[in-house]
Amino acid sequence: MMTKPSLVQPPPLAIWLVDLFTPDEEAEAIQGDLLEEFSEQALKTGVASARRWYWRQSVKTIAHLMGTGFHVAPWSVAGAVVGGFLLLWLGFGLPERAILAVLDFRSQPHVHPYYTWPQAQVRVFWLVCGALIGRLLMSLFIGFIVAAGAKGREMVATITLTLIQGVFGAVEFLVWSASHRYAFLLMPVITPFGVSIMIVMGGGIVRKSRSAAARRPSGT
Amino acid sequence: MSGREYLGEFEHIVILALLRLADRAYGVTVRQEIEARTGREVSIGAIYATLERLQAKGYVKSQFGDPTPERGGRSKRFFRVTAKGILAVNRTHRALQSMTAGLGLVRSYS
Repeated sequence: MMTKPSLVQPPPLAIWLVDLFTPDEEAEAIQGDLLEEFSEQALKTGVASARRWYWRQSVKTIAHLMGTGFHVAPWSVAGAVVGGFLLLWLGFGLPERAILAVLDFRSQPHVHPYYTWPQAQVRVFWLVCGALIGRLLMSLFIGFIVAAGAKGREMVATITLTLIQGVFGAVEFLVWSASHRYAFLLMPVITPFGVSIMIVMGGGIVRKSRSAAARRPSGT
Repeated sequence: MSGREYLGEFEHIVILALLRLADRAYGVTVRQEIEARTGREVSIGAIYATLERLQAKGYVKSQFGDPTPERGGRSKRFFRVTAKGILAVNRTHRALQSMTAGLGLVRSYS
């Protein structure tokens, strides 16, 4: 079967996503197959239809690759997820403690035991915003560690951790909202959501840097 | 029968596609062959997930071909069924034949 090299390219985001979830050893064949069939589809049914086909294939392919990740390397994925969950759990209060330590060091409560109103405002601001930023950075770092532990299955491990964390976050939010009706209602929603995004982002960064490193020597 | 594995439904279909395609069997042709013969739209991910599983069981082997321009300079990965794979297909066929013998399925439902 003859196919002409096409100038039309598949959706870049779909290519990027498939690449993110495909292990290095399968990436070349899968991306090549998808591109070859996309070119055939574009010639037969038109570009718009071929792009829809590519998206459909990409989504299904990612779902299958996620499932395969568990079958191929169940122990490394499970180990990385459990390790990541423990790190999240152990490090949960660390940002607040670190910020409190810095604030106490600066305000010297043993010398000035009372806060002025502006000082109290600054303290609350840092405790709320600083803790959120600290947790997000910590989550990114945990995403790096989990992805490093699940070599070749980075996205499977980080997304699984995110789902588990999401369930715990939802339970935490329900418990929290039952007892706190008014204050900072958005924070318990933003924090688990942001933590999830940062974990997956950490996994994505490790995955992309690994696949770039894997392609470098053979790209010549 | 213990220790003898039967092929799953989709594994069976994929191996039969490889046997039909012989030395032309790679992701695109396998996917298209299955789609043409079963009318079932399958993803390239499902094909590779199954082929990886079959390869891990020793039922198929793979090798890379030369890079081609219509694939953006990427190589095709060709698959072929091993002797162990053919034994597994035959075993599965015999089991299915044995289970369907005397049921008159073709006469009743065709």
